[in-house]
Amino acid sequence: MASKGAAPSTYTPTPTKKTRPPIFSDSDVDWLRPDGRGFHQCRPAFFRTGAVNSAAGSAYAEFGNTKVIVSVFGPRESKKAMMYSDVGRLNCNVSYTTFATPVRGQGSDNKEFSSMLHKALEGAIMLETFPKTTVDVFALVLESGGSDLPVVISCASLALADAGIMMYDLVAGVSVSCLGRNLIIDPILEEETFQDGSLIITCMPSRYEVTQLTISGEWSTAKLNEAMELCLDACSKLAKIMRSCLKEAASASQD
Amino acid sequence: MGVPDASGDLSSEMEVDAFRRLFPLRYFERHLSESVRPDARPLGRARDTTLALGAVASAHGSALAKIGSTTMLAAIKMEVMTPSTESPDEGCIAIDFHMPPICSPIVRPGRPAEAAPVISKQLSDTISSSGMINLKELSLVSGKAAWIAYLDIYCLDADGALFDAALLSAVAAFSHLQIPIVSLNDDGKIVVILEEDDGTKLEKEPVNREKRKLTLSSIPFSLTCILHKNYILADPTAEEESIMETLVTVGLDSSSRLVSFYKPGGPVLAYTSAVQDCVALTRQRVKELQEILDEAISGMEID
Amino acid sequence: MVGLSLGEKHFIQGGIDQNIRSDGRKRDTYRPISVETGVIPQANGSARIRIGATEVIASVKAELGRPDALQPDQGKVAIFVDCSPVAEPMFEGRGGEELSTELSVVLQHCLLGGKSGAGAGIDLSSLIVAEGKICWDLYIDGLVISSDGNLLDALGAAIKAALSNTGIPRVQVAAGALGDEQPEVDISDEEFLQFDTSGVPVIVTLTKVGRHYIVDATSEEESQMSSAVSVSINRKGHICGLSKRGSAGLDPSVISDMISVARHISEQLINKLDSEISAAEAGEDEM
Repeated sequence: MASKGAAPSTYTPTPTKKTRPPIFSDSDVDWLRPDGRGFHQCRPAFFRTGAVNSAAGSAYAEFGNTKVIVSVFGPRESKKAMMYSDVGRLNCNVSYTTFATPVRGQGSDNKEFSSMLHKALEGAIMLETFPKTTVDVFALVLESGGSDLPVVISCASLALADAGIMMYDLVAGVSVSCLGRNLIIDPILEEETFQDGSLIITCMPSRYEVTQLTISGEWSTAKLNEAMELCLDACSKLAKIMRSCLKEAASASQD
Repeated sequence: MGVPDASGDLSSEMEVDAFRRLFPLRYFERHLSESVRPDARPLGRARDTTLALGAVASAHGSALAKIGSTTMLAAIKMEVMTPSTESPDEGCIAIDFHMPPICSPIVRPGRPAEAAPVISKQLSDTISSSGMINLKELSLVSGKAAWIAYLDIYCLDADGALFDAALLSAVAAFSHLQIPIVSLNDDGKIVVILEEDDGTKLEKEPVNREKRKLTLSSIPFSLTCILHKNYILADPTAEEESIMETLVTVGLDSSSRLVSFYKPGGPVLAYTSAVQDCVALTRQRVKELQEILDEAISGMEID
Repeated sequence: MVGLSLGEKHFIQGGIDQNIRSDGRKRDTYRPISVETGVIPQANGSARIRIGATEVIASVKAELGRPDALQPDQGKVAIFVDCSPVAEPMFEGRGGEELSTELSVVLQHCLLGGKSGAGAGIDLSSLIVAEGKICWDLYIDGLVISSDGNLLDALGAAIKAALSNTGIPRVQVAAGALGDEQPEVDISDEEFLQFDTSGVPVIVTLTKVGRHYIVDATSEEESQMSSAVSVSINRKGHICGLSKRGSAGLDPSVISDMISVARHISEQLINKLDSEISAAEAGEDEM
């Protein structure tokens, strides 16, 4: 019956042919993205604040198949073991649902994501406005469809705004994958699996400041500059969408 | 009760919000004496309930259930296992209920909620004892391979009546479940047959062409009620649950047979009449829930 | 944590402004670097690096494993860092754990390239023994023994030195394994293969204090930083990874400037490290 004890080893059945899809090669510039987007085209972004009632602030974000919820609690009392601090603390956690990934229970790099989320947000929050207390930012990835971390970061900054935490600016995150010679923005899971390099920028667009930048893979200077510009441009566009989401929520609550 | 009489006098001068925080029990009792609850519901009415099927594309079956603000996301992933020797032609269901830190201020990372394992156990007991699923339908190759359905339910927003919402999302996820077509390859492993290949060239005969949907007989639903003095409050919110502690959860199946009954302690004793009233409320509620589920399913079929 | 008085803070910041730091260095000068290889006999390769008072050890262990189904023509490399409580009392318990994970993640980003394996410091296809069946798994472990700032650069250098010191046994694959069968292997005790480590990048961390940035910051200087950028650069001058620490945001043009400064410094660092490593290897052979 429904027993978890002495669970037999199980596996996910996979398609018979397991080959690397021939999606690109160095010279193939005409290759189409699996979802039909242009290389420099982001997925349509959807944001909604106030997704979780029991939280001080929350937001839901959906980019294609990437779906995340972020709740913000606090400012509330710091843990007893914490030393006195005259600026507030930010505590971040990212977790995955067991069904978020194609193979069950593989959303494992969340420990790394938690610290990346923290680094991306802390520069934007006015920590001195809530001394001695902690703001908790918890994210749950409902479904992982690629570019999870940037989506979580953007969604979290919206949730912070929804909770009324003072910030210098919203934080928007965008990633770029390098596949062969091509740069593709906002990659989906399939593209991320085969990427040669990746670049994630999170920035505060109105202040034109980068809060977090992570690069992996080999990049020449020209390509790096191109990718950074691409990301920064997309960040400012994303921030406009986030801003309008906040305005909508505010005008709806006034009515 | 132990509340000083002074609160009665103060209440006329105090702001409503302050009174609610300082004397929550008084606040509720004054509402109850008028047969209404702070959110304007009559005592016996459940909150608005919505159901959406197929919320998670990466799962084989999924559903999002909302009762008031309480939100549950359930998703089923099918994996293959070797059946046990006692029951070689039966599959298995593994149910897990999660309360991630996003759902409530009292849950923090690394410190799981106490309620989660309890609800997990109640869910698997209710679903297995209701006989909703015939485990034989999950068999693929007798003695060699069978499905194990991993049902994971995530609480996205905790505002009372968690078990009811979790059970609703669970049964809805099972009605949405679409089992992939698979075949047995030469190594004795089960492999998925891609749908595009269908009809053109099949290297192997699929083993479960006829068994893509589960037949769900007698679907269980439940209603949680609070017993307080002589009042019975259906479908409590988190605030109500924290103030009045005696909870009764009745589970009935679609033909109104009793599937489960939980009364985990609490200061109020449940007399026969109170239990009967709870069952009667649940019976009404089951009809509502059945309609909501049917509507959600028919909505899916149109698409 | 470094507890500094206001006067000391001003002294450090003022020194950096004047291009003469507390220990007499300029903003772009490293502390003396010393390299020792083969310090752990059980490992396939190891090295100890000292940069000033910062001391780290890196070791490389090689084991035979199965390649990933998605990358059948590549071996696997894993990097872990451990911060010993010996180095600093705050490394005990969770504080050390968090720092260890952070360092491990940054090193993985900086040295292992993208998911497809392109741009990795070590040619992953050279780790393959039999395609799709057997490959070498390299386990790289870093250990922080003494900490006085700039751990990342030191760990990066130690890993580079340890890899140059690594010998992988030659493996003979018995022919005749068909289908999914795992072929038999014969591991040689005498013949060892060396890696080509010329492509392994070095990590240069630029720490921003006030308006200026400095290389190779000590703990005291790190406590005054507003943000820091660690860039991993290979001999060709290509960026192989980058990560930013510190809370303050940076203007994109400042980042570009920091990258070009880091590239300039990396050339000197690579030459310096290479000569130190070859001297250490020669010294070890004599012993």
